[in-house]
Amino acid sequence: MQNQDGAVADREKESAVSIPISEVDDWANFADDDIMQQQSAIHAEEAKKIPFVGDKYLLCCNLTVLASYLLYAVTLFQGNSLSVVSLSNTNYPMPMKNGWTVFIIFAILITCGIEKFCYMELQEPLSMLAAEYESGSPILLEKIKVLDQQYAAIRRTRGDGNCFFRSFMFSYLEHILESQDRAEVDRIKGNVEECRKTLQSLGHTDFTFEDFFSLFLEQLECVLQGNEDSIRFSPFFSQDELILRSRDQSISDYVVMFFRFVTSGEIRKRSEFFEPFILGLTNATVEQFCKSSVEPMGEESDHVHITALSDALGVPIRVVYLDRSSCDIGGVSVNHHDFLPTSANKSNAKGGSTVPVKPFITLLYRPGHYDILYPK
Amino acid sequence: MSTPARKRLMRDFKRLQQDPPAGISGAPQDNNIMFWNAVIFGPDDTPWDGGTFKLTLQFMEDYPNKPPTVRFVSRMFHPNIYADGSICLDILQNQWSPIYDVAAILTSIQSLLCDPNPNSPANSEAARMFSENKREYNRRVREIVEQSWTAD
Repeated sequence: MQNQDGAVADREKESAVSIPISEVDDWANFADDDIMQQQSAIHAEEAKKIPFVGDKYLLCCNLTVLASYLLYAVTLFQGNSLSVVSLSNTNYPMPMKNGWTVFIIFAILITCGIEKFCYMELQEPLSMLAAEYESGSPILLEKIKVLDQQYAAIRRTRGDGNCFFRSFMFSYLEHILESQDRAEVDRIKGNVEECRKTLQSLGHTDFTFEDFFSLFLEQLECVLQGNEDSIRFSPFFSQDELILRSRDQSISDYVVMFFRFVTSGEIRKRSEFFEPFILGLTNATVEQFCKSSVEPMGEESDHVHITALSDALGVPIRVVYLDRSSCDIGGVSVNHHDFLPTSANKSNAKGGSTVPVKPFITLLYRPGHYDILYPK
Repeated sequence: MSTPARKRLMRDFKRLQQDPPAGISGAPQDNNIMFWNAVIFGPDDTPWDGGTFKLTLQFMEDYPNKPPTVRFVSRMFHPNIYADGSICLDILQNQWSPIYDVAAILTSIQSLLCDPNPNSPANSEAARMFSENKREYNRRVREIVEQSWTAD
């Protein structure tokens, strides 16, 4: 699976821009795996460096877990009045237990670090991004400078093949949380119902997707404050809560899967429209494409997925491209593309509310990976 | 204890009882919704015709986000089925999606019987025979079909 992901990433890299072969090696910098490694590697540093509100909480949480396992470790050494420090004492006569303890602590730290904390990172200033490319291409550094003028922060998502959907999830729910735009929630609910009908008409059994649909609708209710449901579920729904939910696999993965269902349904429903794009991308039929590249978790997203999701839910999405393309003489510019829902879907929206032309979701695309950008 | 996986499996079971696809049956073992027994009948007018092949499905709490472990209990002779009964099928591995329910899984396995994927052989002898000596392959399949009636 890892290999396959790598292959997909490679393909995306190639299709994204045409680049001289001599530069290909450098593009390894963009691979998903690499981004993941960087993410976990710099995570500890980040936690110390960036003074965000969520930061303190995370550190506490981490320390609590660590402390409880150290406690557990100490109890393993039954009765020996052993200080925590002596865990590192290699001369201790019970190497097996010692080994186990250290193993457990590491396992927990790794689980916390990778499993939980990397689905959705904290906001970071763009200078953090620049630091990543310090020794990299000057074009990229120039582009990051340009981005820095327009965007206040970046939030990273885990590079597990679901990054587009997860970024979209967080960004959308965060927008609703901040704007409290009830009209938008009512509108998207209308679209979600349409998607449900689409899947039914495509012959899917209701129960295979209804859990995923209801979980997404539940998240919508939760981020709308003052709502009866939100009070029942969580009286103090805050951004921290949203971050926690986005990191909770049982919620996060279900919402990602909900988007995959919606995307697949939209592509199948309008297969004539999507067919040429899919052929250009993978040389597969629409059916095969949905089965192999949309419905399974961990399959990366391309413009086909983004177009379909944006159309199905009626949500415009801006994607900013951080790559080495368009480095003309005289000023570096950063390309972006707005995915605007088609007019056909606008008419589906209940109450005839018009879809805003300026996207409120902005994602940063680096070949093989999506993160969230925050405009100034 | 009712978890999302168990709730979903109850619905899978209900669907399989109310609307069973042709040539397929399955049910959870007594007192354990996470472990199912199933039978796939060999499709008509194929060498598999008449065979009754037993399988087990082991579900984990992360179902339907992760696929169950499906295994033939009956002895099989098929390019994509290992000697231990485990099955090489894309939707049970990296192409899994919660969109498949138990009925869909069993239907996919049923169609795999007559439509092997020679690109991912799990039984090299069966794979070679399937592409080089169909007559002998069919004979071996008929043997397996007969065994499926008597085997415990």
